[in-house]
Amino acid sequence: MQAVPTAAPAASYNILKRREAMIAYLFIAPTLIGFLVFVVGPMLIGIGISFYKWNLLTPPVFVGLDNYTRLFSGDPRLGTIYGTTVRLALLVITCNVGLGLFFAILLDRKMPDLLRNFFRLSYFFPFVVSGAAVAIIWTFLFNKDLGPLNYYLRLLGVSERINWLLSSTWSPVAIIITDVWKNVGFYVLVFLGGLQGISRDYYEAAEVDGATGWQQFRSITLPLLTPTILFLLVISVIGALQIFDQPNILTQGGPGDATRTIVMYIYEQGFKFFDMGYASTLALSLFVIILILTIIQFRLSRRWVFYQ
Amino acid sequence: MSTLAEQRTAALNTPAQRIRKPFPLRQLVAYLILGIGSVFLVAPFVWILQAAFGETSKAFVIPPLWLPVNPSLDNFVSAFEQVPFHLFTWNTLKIAVAVTAGQLITCSLAAYAFARLQFRGKNVLFFLLLSSLMIPSQVTLVPTFIIMRQLGLYNTHASLILPALISPFGVFLLRQYFLTIPAELEDAARVDGASVFTIYWRIILPLSGPVLTTLAILTFVAQWNSYIGPLIYINKIELQVITVGLTLMRGRFGEGALGPIAAGLFMAVVPVLIVFLLLQRYIIKSVVTTGIKT
Repeated sequence: MQAVPTAAPAASYNILKRREAMIAYLFIAPTLIGFLVFVVGPMLIGIGISFYKWNLLTPPVFVGLDNYTRLFSGDPRLGTIYGTTVRLALLVITCNVGLGLFFAILLDRKMPDLLRNFFRLSYFFPFVVSGAAVAIIWTFLFNKDLGPLNYYLRLLGVSERINWLLSSTWSPVAIIITDVWKNVGFYVLVFLGGLQGISRDYYEAAEVDGATGWQQFRSITLPLLTPTILFLLVISVIGALQIFDQPNILTQGGPGDATRTIVMYIYEQGFKFFDMGYASTLALSLFVIILILTIIQFRLSRRWVFYQ
Repeated sequence: MSTLAEQRTAALNTPAQRIRKPFPLRQLVAYLILGIGSVFLVAPFVWILQAAFGETSKAFVIPPLWLPVNPSLDNFVSAFEQVPFHLFTWNTLKIAVAVTAGQLITCSLAAYAFARLQFRGKNVLFFLLLSSLMIPSQVTLVPTFIIMRQLGLYNTHASLILPALISPFGVFLLRQYFLTIPAELEDAARVDGASVFTIYWRIILPLSGPVLTTLAILTFVAQWNSYIGPLIYINKIELQVITVGLTLMRGRFGEGALGPIAAGLFMAVVPVLIVFLLLQRYIIKSVVTTGIKT
């Protein structure tokens, strides 16, 4: 008597579960198919192509490790290009993180709402404008003879007219200025979020103990901002090593290779010289570097990141 | 007469308040520095506005002008004469809308399955999806191009739309939000015999307005601004998008005149500006919490 009513629900429960799983697979199918075709597929194909020489016109030729030999010892430009990429990335990250924190601290105080909104909007707006549009605006601002930047620098007493886009000293500076102009607002807002997340109690306690503003910054603000700093470092390392739009439009990598980044080089090898094998090898090298740097950052973070 | 307790709290509050009350000179210095920053960030836009609406020959002169001379729409007219700007705008809009709509559908379906349904391989699949966030899109540039070429999609908008129809990040964002919706709501509907799809469509989606808006904004702005994709896949001017179109106007060696380019920049930036001003709270919040870089 008892077996019948329990067995029937169990069976129908199993059917229900199977039905639910079927529906779930249908729900994830579009994402899964897209993921296989456009993420997993290209990763595997990229590894495959790195063992071939292929210009897209003639059939691919298997060349073994030739592309890797070239990567590690046979490409005199690669050292310069990776050097430029890393140098640009370090400077861009330092400027963005430093200035972002600086302006966020200035913004994190009592002030009229209107003023605060104006500052927030003006700092953040360049961030939503496309990197291509930003680079085009700055091509004109950086113009040696007619550019507003040199004009105002002259009023400030800089007598030399700087050749921003064609000098190997100044063109990396131009890229950094453009990047900071576009992105610093993002860092300001993330830091502002971090600062507002710090409990006021800490500061009140510190004031009772007579700590100065600088002491409060060193021993409260900075340690409690370390999770925010880690987050910003991780995403900006990934982003900064892939800089492409600005140098491609502002300087086309020049003069020489002074502003050529690794992604520009991948683009050039793949779509100008049609060396698909070497372009894929270069892309894999960038992937491995980003992966290693990200892992290192998380490992090291245990030593310097504090959570409230 | 104040009570003893009031006196004591007053005594306790006074010093703290005195310290916390902003010192006016310091406040002024802060405003000044913030103001200098604002000027540096805003001035280029003002200068572009001047160039877009002013006389073409006066757009790019020394000393720089900050207000348009003889305001007119001449620069906009010549922008359309130089390049098919209306096609660039239409193409950009078409791609951005298709990608945004597609991502809202694929991401919300997958996110719902990962948040609420039970199936074999769920955790492994979710982990794989998440770990792909570590793969920079530039790394798969070459192989993706080869796949598109084999599929015969070179020089079509499909080559830009298809890979962007899914987003592991979007799935993650929506899943986290769906998990916060109380399960009791769904249980009640299930007792009434509602199907899984009905629950997703009638209960979950209507309750997820804010997060769907966030994903829509991020996707739309990212697509509107994308540059390297169209640069690689599109080789016909009538199929090109705004970002690459603007670089075509400027010319390989920057020989294009500023006036019409500024008009083009104005048209490229205004839609983003409108979206931004209307939804700035959403944008700022979502960008800050998700760390998306456009």
